[in-house]
Amino acid sequence: QRRPCEPQMPRSLIKEIFRHFVKMPVTRDAFKIVEKCSERYFKQVSDDLEAYARHAGRKTVEVADLEILMRRQGLVTDKMPLNVLIENYLPLEYRKILIPVAVSGNKVIPSK
Amino acid sequence: MAAGAALGGEEQQLLTQRLKAAVHYTVGCLCQEVEEDKDVQFSKQSIAAIAEITFGQCEIFAKDLEMFARHAKRTTVNTEDVKLLARRSNSLLKYITQKSEELASSNMEQKEKKKKKSSAAKGGRTPGEQEAAVTENEDSSMA
Repeated sequence: QRRPCEPQMPRSLIKEIFRHFVKMPVTRDAFKIVEKCSERYFKQVSDDLEAYARHAGRKTVEVADLEILMRRQGLVTDKMPLNVLIENYLPLEYRKILIPVAVSGNKVIPSK
Repeated sequence: MAAGAALGGEEQQLLTQRLKAAVHYTVGCLCQEVEEDKDVQFSKQSIAAIAEITFGQCEIFAKDLEMFARHAKRTTVNTEDVKLLARRSNSLLKYITQKSEELASSNMEQKEKKKKKSSAAKGGRTPGEQEAAVTENEDSSMA
């Protein structure tokens, strides 16, 4: 029945995240649309990131490219830096990876 | 940028007003063209609204262009940044690319003329002019 398709976000995860943010009942058809939208979103974002990385003369996408993308999306602004968004929306283990933290003994985690 | 930083609050306001008036005038002219073309009428308020929107959009464009240039480790905004700004809309990107090519070709023509002139009047250059010529050549190699 189910045809093999390209890799995508697990549907359950999309559902869970969406439900967490809408805080009201959502019909099944609406979820289908949300899935489609997220697929489109990933396509668009990868396109944009590629353009931004190439603009800086790189072939690898870096954090700077992502920050530019989010700035153009209006998520990152002067009042809302990327680190604050990371603090607000990402679980602790990811935060530890992304935001360097100074600990005792003159060490910074993660060490660059 | 530097000029804006040096100005006081009042002067800044005056400059903003002047710019807004200039935008308003140009928008009025463009709307008149559309009126003749499409046989519709623009009310004064709608023209004012379009002018205001244009002004606000310019702020956004300026910030984005600055960001793109800095992203490519430049301090000068060039055509590549403008193309990146227009990437989101295909037709706009096509139009802008075409226009930039036209500009580039016309610039080349001008340079050819200048080269002929400069070769005719060699040695009569101030150091400032020399610098300008060097940066221009760099620009042409970038495009």
